[in-house]
Amino acid sequence: MELILDGVSITHHDIPILTDVMLTLRTGELVVLVGPNGAGKTTLLRAALGLVRLDRGRITLDGEDATRLAPRARASRLAWLPQTGSVSEPMTAADHVAAARYRFGESARRAEAGAFRALTRVDAGSLAERALGSLSGGERQRVAIAAVLAQEAPLLLLDEPANHLDPHQQRETFRLIAALARMGHGVLCVTHDVGALAGLAKEDSTRVVGLRSGRLAFDVPLGDATLAARLSDLFGLRLAFAERDGERALVTWWPVAEPAERPCG
Amino acid sequence: MRVRGATLVLLLATAAIVGMAPYVGPPLDPETGSFVWWQLRVPRVVMAALVGGTLSSVGAAYQLVFQNPLATPSTIGTSAGAVLGVLAAVVAGAPSTSANLPWLTLAAFAGALATTVIVAGLAAYGRARMHDILLAGIAVSLAAGAVGTALESVADVGQRFTVSQWSLGHLPQVGYRGVAILLPFLAVAWIGLLVELRALHALTGGEDVAQTQGVDVPRARAVTLGAGAVGVAACVAWCGPIGFVGLIVPHVVRLAGARSPRVLVPLSLVAGMGFLVSCDLVARLVVPGHELPVGVVTAALGAPALLLLLAWPAARRGR
Repeated sequence: MELILDGVSITHHDIPILTDVMLTLRTGELVVLVGPNGAGKTTLLRAALGLVRLDRGRITLDGEDATRLAPRARASRLAWLPQTGSVSEPMTAADHVAAARYRFGESARRAEAGAFRALTRVDAGSLAERALGSLSGGERQRVAIAAVLAQEAPLLLLDEPANHLDPHQQRETFRLIAALARMGHGVLCVTHDVGALAGLAKEDSTRVVGLRSGRLAFDVPLGDATLAARLSDLFGLRLAFAERDGERALVTWWPVAEPAERPCG
Repeated sequence: MRVRGATLVLLLATAAIVGMAPYVGPPLDPETGSFVWWQLRVPRVVMAALVGGTLSSVGAAYQLVFQNPLATPSTIGTSAGAVLGVLAAVVAGAPSTSANLPWLTLAAFAGALATTVIVAGLAAYGRARMHDILLAGIAVSLAAGAVGTALESVADVGQRFTVSQWSLGHLPQVGYRGVAILLPFLAVAWIGLLVELRALHALTGGEDVAQTQGVDVPRARAVTLGAGAVGVAACVAWCGPIGFVGLIVPHVVRLAGARSPRVLVPLSLVAGMGFLVSCDLVARLVVPGHELPVGVVTAALGAPALLLLLAWPAARRGR
């Protein structure tokens, strides 16, 4: 399965959101899409999902025009984790995940079985009967990822999957995402948390794509020697990889702030 | 999706209420007893069950499709349209009772469908958001109300009384004509809602998410709103607007433990039957020798019941 964005441009009220974006995602690949706030990352995902109209360009799934696909056909190829998910009903985690199996047209019992399988894949089987409202942020995100998996689509589009999570949960989430790509999913993961890149294995199938003001800034393998420099340029900061005792970090350097002479006010 | 104990209680209670209801009342005279039983009491209970079930299940479905717990079967203007239709018919001189043609019923049905078609048409348009449709429903209701007020101002006292009597809601039936007329419309509503149950489940995550999960959102909401409106229009046309049922019953069913929409809508149908049948019993019995309009009882009974359940800690746990 191959998702291709070919020269995609989108404007909203004459303001360009995306301009001439080229991007490819294949099964087995992990593509991390980074960029400052407002760079157009979320719009790019929504365009691939057919939720935003293109002004120019083409989006294809295995050569088929993705914008003309029926919802069910698209759902069999692409699954989406939105940045902010909200659920309007008081449901259990299993019910919420089961809803993602709409495209299978199956009985409630089978949908529930599918939901349990997906929850187990993200080590959340024990949360199945819990009410969504009673889950912690980390548990909720795990359930949300289970919902994405329950759809059984080969390509996954994840929008800020580690948002609002503590550092430990963030690490676990990115580990899970990398594992999904190794299991054969194609994963396009939007994040502005570049620190997480340090924890990913430098495989050829893992790429980092930079987006700035709606334009593609770079598209390089994670192991590329120029990545830190490119990221620094993208965010206007100094970023560098540092390694010690078999561990790696992507460090953001801050200018040392001088203490103020007088307290403010 | 497990049917919890409370849900089972709800089902059994409904079965008991509907089964017992025809027995409640003064003892039957041996001569006229058979007529009173088969031509008055049983059809009245059947009608209350059908109308209560329809209003409640449509209310549950509308709350799901609008993702709004305040949505009711009349949110998209159905009741306001029906009242306007009746007002227009009465002012135009239609007889309030007629052996040949039930003019008021036809006028109410036409008014209800006219307002609904406007709103459901907007729902079928792909780019409209759900809150736009909700606003359109409120706007259509207000407009129908305003035109109704204008008509009322030119109506005479007798006409006003006819309309006000009609708008209180009434369930008395003689025979099964009403049931036979209503059933096809109600069947359209029930089948429409059941067909879209899985889509309603997916819509709990929001329209965009549902769309990416494979739901044809404009179609799903047009079918839900349209089929629901056919059923509600028929109920309102035959029995007048009966409020609160469609708002309260789904919430009671939720509090009783039905979490999944796939259970909520069918259970609301069953619980709504029990609820309206019991409200009608109260309406028959509370003032000896006099019947209260059932719409008064639904509000008077339903609102405190809901408040009680909301305050009940066991029902709130795990929400």
